[in-house]
Amino acid sequence: MTSPTKAEGPGSAVALDPEVASTAETDKGKELVGRSPGQLMWIRFKRDRVGVISACVVVFFFVVGLLAPVISKLYGKDPYTVFADERPDLFDSAGVPLQPNGGISGDFWFGLEPGNGYDVFTKLLYGIRNSLGISVAVTIATVLTGVLLGVMAGYMGGKVDFAVSRVVDFLLAFPAQLFFIASMPVVVSLFVDPKDETPVYVRVVALIAVQWVLGWMSLARILRGTALSLAGREFIEAARVSGASPWRIIRKEVLPNVVTPILVQSTYMLPAFVTAEAGLSFLGVGLVEPTPDWGQMFSKASTELVMQNDITYMFFPGISMIIFIVAFNLLGDSVRDAFDPKTAR
Amino acid sequence: MLRFIFRRTLGAVVILVLLTVVAFLLFFGMPRDPALLMCGKTCTPDALANIHKTLGIDKSIPEQFWIFLQGLFVGRDDFAQGPCPAPCFGYSYHTNENVWSTLIDRLPTTVSLAVGAAFLFLFVGLGSGLLAAWKRGTLIDKTFTGGAMVLSSMQIYFLGPLAMAFLVYQTHLFDQVEYTNFTKNPASWFTGLVIPWAVLSTIFAAQYTRMARSSMIEQLQEEHVRTARAKGMSRSYVFFRYAWRGSLIPIVTIFGIDIGSLLGGAIITEYTFGLPGLGQLAVEAVKFSDLPLLLGVMLFSAAMILLFNIIVDACYAFIDPRVRLS
Repeated sequence: MTSPTKAEGPGSAVALDPEVASTAETDKGKELVGRSPGQLMWIRFKRDRVGVISACVVVFFFVVGLLAPVISKLYGKDPYTVFADERPDLFDSAGVPLQPNGGISGDFWFGLEPGNGYDVFTKLLYGIRNSLGISVAVTIATVLTGVLLGVMAGYMGGKVDFAVSRVVDFLLAFPAQLFFIASMPVVVSLFVDPKDETPVYVRVVALIAVQWVLGWMSLARILRGTALSLAGREFIEAARVSGASPWRIIRKEVLPNVVTPILVQSTYMLPAFVTAEAGLSFLGVGLVEPTPDWGQMFSKASTELVMQNDITYMFFPGISMIIFIVAFNLLGDSVRDAFDPKTAR
Repeated sequence: MLRFIFRRTLGAVVILVLLTVVAFLLFFGMPRDPALLMCGKTCTPDALANIHKTLGIDKSIPEQFWIFLQGLFVGRDDFAQGPCPAPCFGYSYHTNENVWSTLIDRLPTTVSLAVGAAFLFLFVGLGSGLLAAWKRGTLIDKTFTGGAMVLSSMQIYFLGPLAMAFLVYQTHLFDQVEYTNFTKNPASWFTGLVIPWAVLSTIFAAQYTRMARSSMIEQLQEEHVRTARAKGMSRSYVFFRYAWRGSLIPIVTIFGIDIGSLLGGAIITEYTFGLPGLGQLAVEAVKFSDLPLLLGVMLFSAAMILLFNIIVDACYAFIDPRVRLS
């Protein structure tokens, strides 16, 4: 169906005074432009200065992570070189960099790591790269699972709903962090013999799997509620009456209506996964040396060697993570506000 | 009310039983050979056979689980290390100590940390949240919300070492962080735990500030609150008598969850400060693949979380008359 007013719109503005005519024209034009909810959201988001700035910061981190190999090639070092062996003149007998402020110099922009003497700048770049990569993978996996199970439970109802809801309740009662660290060795042992050295990719897969299993429930619960309320609406009923298959209804009618909670929730979930992954590596059950990792840098920073001598090293992973998490949380708030202006902060 | 609590307890028991099954399957059913996991990198066939025998892995999984359950309720005496009275979680593979008595041994540290921190973050967090809501839109509000935003994005594994480096190693203002039993020496119990309390509650207090503020602002817009104000009651009376009570409900919920999980072991905090509590026990158990100990910590933690969920539900009825009536 086409609306007659829209068709008439531009032609009807005829006036003698050109100025009045042009303003009337633009006013009318503004009113009549049809915008999709996505476009509206984008326009609202662009107006939110905090949101735009934090989006830039977040994008910066992802670009840094993606380009880590390029940047470190230009910079001329890699995170695996043990400078304590290569350039022993830079360290004292305990392994602390001799120069002040953690050995920051023109050669080593962020200084050197006390102990092994890795280059902090490249280590941080690669650490961000690895941590973000794992967290993005976990987010994608949990969002897909949450959408699938949540929408299915909400739309189908009945036994499916009951089963999914009970599983969600049950998994939410798990002590999550404890489960993460406890199941890491078990999951790793599924792939490799405990006597062998664990390859890095196995650790990565185990980290993703463990966080995925206990990460999807909150999103599934929210989407179940949304899908449940949608299932009773007229347009869904109309689709059903006109003979659409359940799969088509979920894909074409339900899913476009749950995009908002999915986007908002995933912007909140990703930073949570980043800190959880970093926490695991901090505890020594995530990625281990020499694989660079954001969280593992913290465990190095909490050794007596660093705390007693020069704490400069501590600030690089610390400050960068705070900036990332704050920016991402602000971005989450802005995305939520842009989608739904009613829920003001 | 009693029936409500009874029903909730029954639900929690069901979840706990299911959790025991899942955790048992995870640790003893899923690995190809749990003994190999525990034996570690320097495993001899003799040691492996020994673990097989003491663990009872030669039996089928349901049989093993049945023996484990029996141990939980009536105790077992088939351990080489000695008798194991109920509740029996077996013996640790690394230290050869009874798992249950290790848990009880580590509990006071965890409880001290959790209770001290909870006091601090509840008062600081609620106080600053209420103040921010009271002074909404002013500089105070903006400072508090901004500060809370940054602090709640801090991580214990950054703030903890930072505080230790500054306060202990660089300036020597505070004693080294360590746990002394309260009954032995209350003064050093306090000084040894001040930094962990402060660090843990900084992050929590920031979250509570944000929560208390938004929940209070939401309540102030409720109709009954506006009516009370329109009747001519003073702003402070309405604030503390009407809005405050309603704003407590979400906070009590989160507080219950937080204190439950803290009592189950604040893993990262305990590990950062080297406090010998349940959380550190869990990390140690993982490092040595000590499955009986790990299972024990996990079930204990889960029981704590469930227990506090029930307490929260009971608190609702106390705060909100609507829950009591329905």
